[in-house]
Amino acid sequence: MSLLTLGHGSGGRLSGDLARRIACAFAPEGPPQEMEDCALLPEGWGVTLDGFTVTPRTFPGGNLGKLAVCGAVNDLAVRGVRPRYLCLGVIAEEGFPEDELMEHMASAAEVCAELHLRLVAGDTKVVPRGTADGLFLTTCAWGTPQRPDALGMTRLRPGDVLLLTGAPGRHGATIAAARYGLDAPGLESDCAPLGALLEPLYDLPGLRCMRDCTRGGVGTALGEWAEGGGVGLEIREVDLPRSPEVEDVAQLLGLDPLYLACEGTAVVAVAPEDAPEALARLRRSLRGGASAPIGVVTDRHPRWVGLRTRAGGTRVVDLPVGELLPRIC
Amino acid sequence: MTETLEGRLGELGRVLGRRVTFMEVCGTHTVELFRTGVRSMLPREIRLISGPGCPVCVTDQRDIDAALFLARLPGVIFTTYGDMLRVPGSRGSLGDARGEGADVRVITSAAQALEGARQTPCREVVFCAVGFETTAPATAAVLLEARRQGIKNFSVLSLHKRVPPALELLASAPDLAVDGFLLPGHVGVILGEEPFRFLPEKFGVPCALAGFEAEEMAAGIAELGRQVILRAPAVRSVYPRAVRPEGNPRARSLMEEVFSPARAPWRGLGEMASSGLALREDFSPFDARRRFDLPPFPFVSTPCACGAVLSGRIDPPECPLFGTSCTPVSPVGPCMVSGEGSCAAHHRFGRGWAE
Repeated sequence: MSLLTLGHGSGGRLSGDLARRIACAFAPEGPPQEMEDCALLPEGWGVTLDGFTVTPRTFPGGNLGKLAVCGAVNDLAVRGVRPRYLCLGVIAEEGFPEDELMEHMASAAEVCAELHLRLVAGDTKVVPRGTADGLFLTTCAWGTPQRPDALGMTRLRPGDVLLLTGAPGRHGATIAAARYGLDAPGLESDCAPLGALLEPLYDLPGLRCMRDCTRGGVGTALGEWAEGGGVGLEIREVDLPRSPEVEDVAQLLGLDPLYLACEGTAVVAVAPEDAPEALARLRRSLRGGASAPIGVVTDRHPRWVGLRTRAGGTRVVDLPVGELLPRIC
Repeated sequence: MTETLEGRLGELGRVLGRRVTFMEVCGTHTVELFRTGVRSMLPREIRLISGPGCPVCVTDQRDIDAALFLARLPGVIFTTYGDMLRVPGSRGSLGDARGEGADVRVITSAAQALEGARQTPCREVVFCAVGFETTAPATAAVLLEARRQGIKNFSVLSLHKRVPPALELLASAPDLAVDGFLLPGHVGVILGEEPFRFLPEKFGVPCALAGFEAEEMAAGIAELGRQVILRAPAVRSVYPRAVRPEGNPRARSLMEEVFSPARAPWRGLGEMASSGLALREDFSPFDARRRFDLPPFPFVSTPCACGAVLSGRIDPPECPLFGTSCTPVSPVGPCMVSGEGSCAAHHRFGRGWAE
């Protein structure tokens, strides 16, 4: 009997395989080849669903409530969908402080107000002590696509430019630092709604696809694009936006920032002729000042992500497998 | 002399004028050589092979079975570094045991394990101590602290290993022609140069202690090349922090106070005298092997060629299981499990475009 492990929940290859097996149960003819962040429905809606649990529940830069709304709306924003409605599921453990629950709800409501997002349905469950870890939130967001065409990884073409809107791994490093008791002054999760940053790009004809680099980080997002889009990607280490605070934590724990989660940082693929304009618009935005072109789409090594290292060498950026674990020495 | 690293390494290759094989001994070097792209810049003349340098990878299946036995005991909190979670024993891994309900907790320092014992006095806390001379002093310090505080519910399963005996085995193997060892600088900081001197003196093999940045590893490789060209084998440090010939006396004395060298099994390499670190008699109350009266665990053979990989006899892709039945998703051997394992590093970085 095979049992699920935490690796199946880490956003890398194991997670993708599990999601595909589940999708197969519903569509025996086979799930869609590429898995995007949200579904674009024929009736003219974009919809997504996401479940949230994090330890600690409150961290520098956000909390579980804020995360739950940002995570859902960002999955819409990267496919050109403006979020309009939200459903919220709350599963809390017996004995959970109501005050803390309401803190998370207040943070969630604050993001909703900022985005004019209406909570239209919800559900609460309280389960016996010991059968859930504190508080689990599930959010379903939907809204209206702002483009006539569907953004997606199958649109990637050799020559396209890859833009990254901020330093990789800020959310993951913040959580790791809190979890392992590291003091990381200045480090804060990037948890934020992406709409204000990405909406200005929606009218660029050359916009191909976008991805918020959540579980599994930038490395996983790029790896899935290469595999799902059947193209090669080539990124340059020297051009990646950097955060010294993230790098300190990553180095201490033996983690690679490329695979640490972001919750308010996106990778954007755009045709070369629109790249300068896209970059300028991102940089003008409040949360996009650190945006940078980090690489290109190429036909040279289909399905692989290559990285040109700072030292001048090359290597592959593969999808991570399993739980991200701090190393021994 | 060219400015780029690639140019400098290429020049070294031309001066060498023949093919040489260097072995990087530390798992962190294995990963960093890939991650920084130094591997991709090596000239044809320089072949790098990976040695038994990942502490997880060299942990014997019987020792994993011992860890699993302890983790599954009722009332035990089993604390371990994260790398160990997925290493398969003969029946599952610690990660599987956790999935089945065992209380297995990932920690990042030995001190955290002791802290856990202090906070839960009614439970037995076992610390799975893995690593080479870089991590053994921390385990020793924690054991001294546990004794000082009179903590009764804390014990250690020592799987610590010593690097020099493994290098001696490799240097003396007639079928392995290693032209130089790239040694990890941080082990040198603790042990000093002395424990490695037998390599040039007895076996004529050059040694360089190097750091983990691209420039530093390249400098280590260049130092090995220099010794080969001049036929002047020695132990030289190109590590930026001072490697004193005698190492770090405080760390060494900590280790010596708590541990004594003991015969230990290494995955793929077999048992080697003095290659492990066992708790001294004074610390036997903290020795998990004695405290829980561990039975002997049988050796179960697998088709995995990890022995040949760990000794550098084959490159990971030459193992018949590599990338087919043994992948990071479903690893057969430990070298594919640990992030620092040579198979995992080759699988993660070494395929496709980079080769």
